[in-house]
Amino acid sequence: MSPGVSLASGFGRVACAAVAVMAACVARAETVELTFANWAAAEGTTRPAIEQVIKDFEAAHPDIRIKSEAISFTEIARQLVLRVRSGNPPDVAQVAGNDTILVALTGKLEPLDSFVTGDVKAALKPGSLDALRYKNQLIAFPWTQAPAGLWYDKALLQKAGLDPENPPKTIDALMNALAAVKRSQPDVIPLGLDTTNRPFAMQSNWPWMQTFGATPIGEGARGADTPQMKAYLTWMRELAQKGYIDPGRKIGEFRPLAAQDKVAFLWDQVLLQGVIQSANKMSDADFYKRWGVTALPTGPSGKSYTFEGGHQLVMFADSKHKQAAWTFIQYLATSPAALRAYTLGPGASLPPLAKLPDAELARKLDTPVIDAFATKIIPTISPPPFGASFASGSTAVMAGVQQAVTGTEPIDAIAKSIQQQLAK
Amino acid sequence: MAAGRRPPGAEPWLDWMVLPTVGVLAVVVGYPVVYTLVLSAQHYNFLEPEPARFIGAANYAQLVADRIFWQALGNTAIYTFGSVLAAALLGLVLALLVETYASPRMRLVRALLLTPWAVPFVVTAFLFRYMYLQNGGVVNAVLLHAGIVRAPVAWLNNASLALPSVMVANVWTMTPFFFLLLSAALAGIPNEVIESARVDRARGMSMIVGIKLPFLRSALLVGSLLMVISNFNDFAKIWATTQGGPGYATTTLVVYVYRLAFENFQFGYASAMGVVWLLLLMGFAVAYLRALRLR
Repeated sequence: MSPGVSLASGFGRVACAAVAVMAACVARAETVELTFANWAAAEGTTRPAIEQVIKDFEAAHPDIRIKSEAISFTEIARQLVLRVRSGNPPDVAQVAGNDTILVALTGKLEPLDSFVTGDVKAALKPGSLDALRYKNQLIAFPWTQAPAGLWYDKALLQKAGLDPENPPKTIDALMNALAAVKRSQPDVIPLGLDTTNRPFAMQSNWPWMQTFGATPIGEGARGADTPQMKAYLTWMRELAQKGYIDPGRKIGEFRPLAAQDKVAFLWDQVLLQGVIQSANKMSDADFYKRWGVTALPTGPSGKSYTFEGGHQLVMFADSKHKQAAWTFIQYLATSPAALRAYTLGPGASLPPLAKLPDAELARKLDTPVIDAFATKIIPTISPPPFGASFASGSTAVMAGVQQAVTGTEPIDAIAKSIQQQLAK
Repeated sequence: MAAGRRPPGAEPWLDWMVLPTVGVLAVVVGYPVVYTLVLSAQHYNFLEPEPARFIGAANYAQLVADRIFWQALGNTAIYTFGSVLAAALLGLVLALLVETYASPRMRLVRALLLTPWAVPFVVTAFLFRYMYLQNGGVVNAVLLHAGIVRAPVAWLNNASLALPSVMVANVWTMTPFFFLLLSAALAGIPNEVIESARVDRARGMSMIVGIKLPFLRSALLVGSLLMVISNFNDFAKIWATTQGGPGYATTTLVVYVYRLAFENFQFGYASAMGVVWLLLLMGFAVAYLRALRLR
């Protein structure tokens, strides 16, 4: 080979390598990375499912990479607010309940109205965007729906001499049932209620307060120093004094006990089925034979209430890849793959879609539990008055609930003390 | 005398050689303290898009009228001084026992006694939380089995029992510190002193009270000061066991400040509380050091 040919060949190779490097750089520049703050990846039950969904999404969208940041449910609002204030928010985040409004209060959420087009809107259940508006802007997109119901272990009810197909419909009937459970099975927790001091516990207890006619905070609230609130607190004290509840536990701490048949009634969200089955590997048929769910028993108000504890997805205004973020949000909430692997899988929640994309998915919702939620529970949804005052108010109200449940201070004094805190 | 030369024996007020240290301290200590002072005079809520605004002493006025603040202050005092006193006494007794019965086997006992100090505080908190469980907790199981109680006790969910229960966990963690400190101090007592006391027929309690305790005084004072400051700021154990509940029964200043700052995002008001907290600790430290110097 002549030196001239060799030189030309060398240049050729260098040129090819340069072009390859440039092409790789261009391809790399076109790939965007989205940070996704969520607690689905922080919880053992849902972690494999969300990781699978993310992997599927990346395979379907090779130009988008997802960096999942696992943050616990209790911590996520705090971390998101602090990250927004320090100029380092994620692109997309999973939020729920009062946390959604708290993060929106920072003014750093991207309004989603321009992304949620007519087609997307038409595919959703009617009204599913109503509670996600703040200052006339859509600030979140529904990912899952998870209302709460009164779950009951039919076998434990039967052991207590109760009719397992006829759960209590009033507070008085519930008290009789709890007494029967306590009498017959002293090692079983008759009623699982979250009495911790955190905004979620307030959200969980809000329907119980409402059925007593108590509305300590929110628009048109009567305050805490009212006969209705005192009736609710007195009832809570009675529950504790008779040993019907196990105070201080988070709702998540009752779930493993429920899976071991140690809880007769449990006030929990639709996702309980997934958690129990994940813990004790019970089949669907066995689960429906063992567990039932119904609406909250009615109190003096004569009405039943519940809360919608579903999860939402938000996009941050500082995101540099808003279109990619929206693609990801839409995929998580509405794609058949995500519905199959996550929402109707270990998430065991209801999808926000009015109609499911295929018959196999639709069959997954044809169960006695989903039927009970659709016919008896969802019509009783009454959203709590979310906002900044809900977060600070919940500290005062739940501290008062704990005082009623665990102490001997007169209920009148506790109600007055809560009101003083709320008035600050 | 040449200009700028110090008279012999005169101490410079500020030597340029210490300026780097002063600079570092100004950044890591001075700035946070000054910024906290500034924040304490502002209405500053992270959830409000509006910028912080100056409100003078309003946060301090609110603090004076805040019933929870006073309860938290009381709880802090009980938790801190109660735990330190109990742990110091226990540490002292254990140190004296191990010294009295010194033998090669005692080395193992000494190592075992130090174990709680090596356990991270959060682990200790969760350990005691599960031990105290009303249903399924080992404490109730033992007491029920021994016939001491007839029904499970709600250790952490009874407004009267919660604070003492958390203090027990705290004392368990802290006792090895005093044991170690006082064992070292006991080993430092000169043999001549012990021998001459024996010649004077000092034995048992008279030896401990008359000879050994005076030698332990400095160690006890310094150790107590360190532990008081550490307990005043103790967040992990209380948050992981009770989160300040039930009600406000175990809410200490640090827990209350955390709730205000990181749950309600009221940074201005939380800073005012932080300033009071800092002043209290500084006042205590100064008084304590003065007592140590007067000794």
